[in-house]
Amino acid sequence: MTTATANASRWSRFRESFLWYSFKRDKVAIVSFVVFVLIAAAAFLAPLLAPHDPYDLATINIMNSELPPVWMDGSDPSFPLGTDAQGRDLLSTILYGTRVSLLIGFGAVILQAALGILFGLLAGYLGGRVDSILMRIADVQLSFSTLMVAIIVGAVFKASFGNLMFGEIAIYLLILIIGVAEWPQIARTVRASVLAEKKKEYVDAAKVMGYRTNRIMFRHILPNTLSPIFVIGTVQIANAIISEAALSFLGLGMPETQPSLGSLIKSGFDYIQSGSWWITLIPGLVLVVLVLVINLLGDWLRDVMNPRLYKG
Amino acid sequence: MALLEVKNLDVRFAVRGGDLKALRKISFSLDKGERLGLVGESGAGKSVAAFSILNLIARPGYIAGGEILFEGKNLAAMSDRELRKIRGNRIAMIFQDPMMTLNPVLTIGNQMVEALKAHRRISTRAARQIALDRLKQVQIPSPDKRLDQYPHELSGGMRQRVIIAIALLLDPEIIIADEPTTALDVTIQAEIMALLLELCEQRNVALMLITHDLGVVSQVTQNMLVMYAGRIIEQGPTKEIINDAQHPYTQGLINALPQMGEPGRRLYQIPGAMPSLNRIPSGCPFHPRCQFATDLCKQEMPEYVTSGNVDVACHEVRKLIEEEQQQREMTS
Repeated sequence: MTTATANASRWSRFRESFLWYSFKRDKVAIVSFVVFVLIAAAAFLAPLLAPHDPYDLATINIMNSELPPVWMDGSDPSFPLGTDAQGRDLLSTILYGTRVSLLIGFGAVILQAALGILFGLLAGYLGGRVDSILMRIADVQLSFSTLMVAIIVGAVFKASFGNLMFGEIAIYLLILIIGVAEWPQIARTVRASVLAEKKKEYVDAAKVMGYRTNRIMFRHILPNTLSPIFVIGTVQIANAIISEAALSFLGLGMPETQPSLGSLIKSGFDYIQSGSWWITLIPGLVLVVLVLVINLLGDWLRDVMNPRLYKG
Repeated sequence: MALLEVKNLDVRFAVRGGDLKALRKISFSLDKGERLGLVGESGAGKSVAAFSILNLIARPGYIAGGEILFEGKNLAAMSDRELRKIRGNRIAMIFQDPMMTLNPVLTIGNQMVEALKAHRRISTRAARQIALDRLKQVQIPSPDKRLDQYPHELSGGMRQRVIIAIALLLDPEIIIADEPTTALDVTIQAEIMALLLELCEQRNVALMLITHDLGVVSQVTQNMLVMYAGRIIEQGPTKEIINDAQHPYTQGLINALPQMGEPGRRLYQIPGAMPSLNRIPSGCPFHPRCQFATDLCKQEMPEYVTSGNVDVACHEVRKLIEEEQQQREMTS
């Protein structure tokens, strides 16, 4: 009963909030959000929606390879977007691949956020030596490009585990690599807002109340720094998806048996000259649209949540 | 034994090129239920004094010497863990700006419950009940509604009431109020001051009121301290000091108060400004601004002399007192 009323008031509070108000007024944000939700829903419901199971090798027939989409001559109506070089249904493979890409994008950002928030809070709030050490580590980390680190780590793992084993752990490995490589972005943002927040009187008031340092950091300061974290987190999801696609395109990401959007693009790339453009172009289009709507949503969030703090 | 006794407290700020002396040999005491005023211009060290009582001076500040005895235990030498049991629980503090003191992202109720839970083993339900009681005591309209509201939904006066309610939450023995009404408009100021006074009297809570408003000090407090450049220059019963200030600085502060009923009169100003901590004058720190200053004032820091019940640190006052004594001896 009480939880029901609490939920109701939370919902009505949301309905009255500036966030909802500005969302309603921003056509770009609405369209982006709808497109994103459609893509995400289709991806996560892939086992239900997809006409074929691209992971099931028994259903794949090599005779069906490189069939064009339905609107072209020589197509097969049971493969609406055509097939790839191995005879997998392209639509199903894209749905499953989008799922993999989104999983890696969100997973990597959750890892980034966990590391970035923890280190950013510690550096910003404790200051002094802790701050210098953590931020120097972040600087060093940023001076390597994500791709370079990923290529080295990926190559080492691939060499030591072999292709088969690598295929099984690839998704976790990618999350780990991209997450660890990009945490300083979030740590820096968090640190900057913590530095601003800790000078405010409510922090003094919390100290005067006799709260522990942990409590002040996580319960009092952290919620006040969430808006920039959301903004940068959204943009970072798009970045992580692109990083993953780039790695897969280079052959260091998801294996072709379990393709992400990037590895699909790569697998089609070899056939683009022989006229089978759809294997590369259609997943590429999906990737571009996905990254674009996430970035547009991030832009909108940035405008709404903190016009001053975060500049791309 | 006094509830709080501060003895020769020295607070310094370690900066490049040496220590800045923010508080110099501060001594005073506070009894249970007593109301003590702490006045002085901006930069006199009032807020530093308040924070150092809770041993909460931020780096680079540190307590360089002296004792802060709360119920006989020295807060300056206590571990952080023991200090946390006292902060908020036994000694509470109210800040100047009610807009900034409450956490903007937590509801009033959550903040109050959290304060209770930090110091007592108590269920959320019981804590909310206590919070509601306190909100009723500070006379907030529809207190049950306020518990689920965020600070930005309340007016300045209401927020300061909430802050007083939070300060009273754990039944502290001492409340340190650092300019509690400065950020409010005049009518609300009077209401909040009256409320604070009433609650402190009711519960026998000692109040340390930091302000530069001598009007409030004279109405509310029993004793007062006047600070200048980190030093107490005059201390004693409020009535005696207000009616017959000894130190030229205190006299200046009192003269600087705007008077009603004399339209057109220029307001009095103490010439000059409070020296910054890295350029405190030699001898009596007030001498460059003092109309009675002599060569002695430039060289030597005055010791305290007692006149009536008031302690004053001023060479000229000492001279006057000595002359008076001589005259008395001559006539007798």
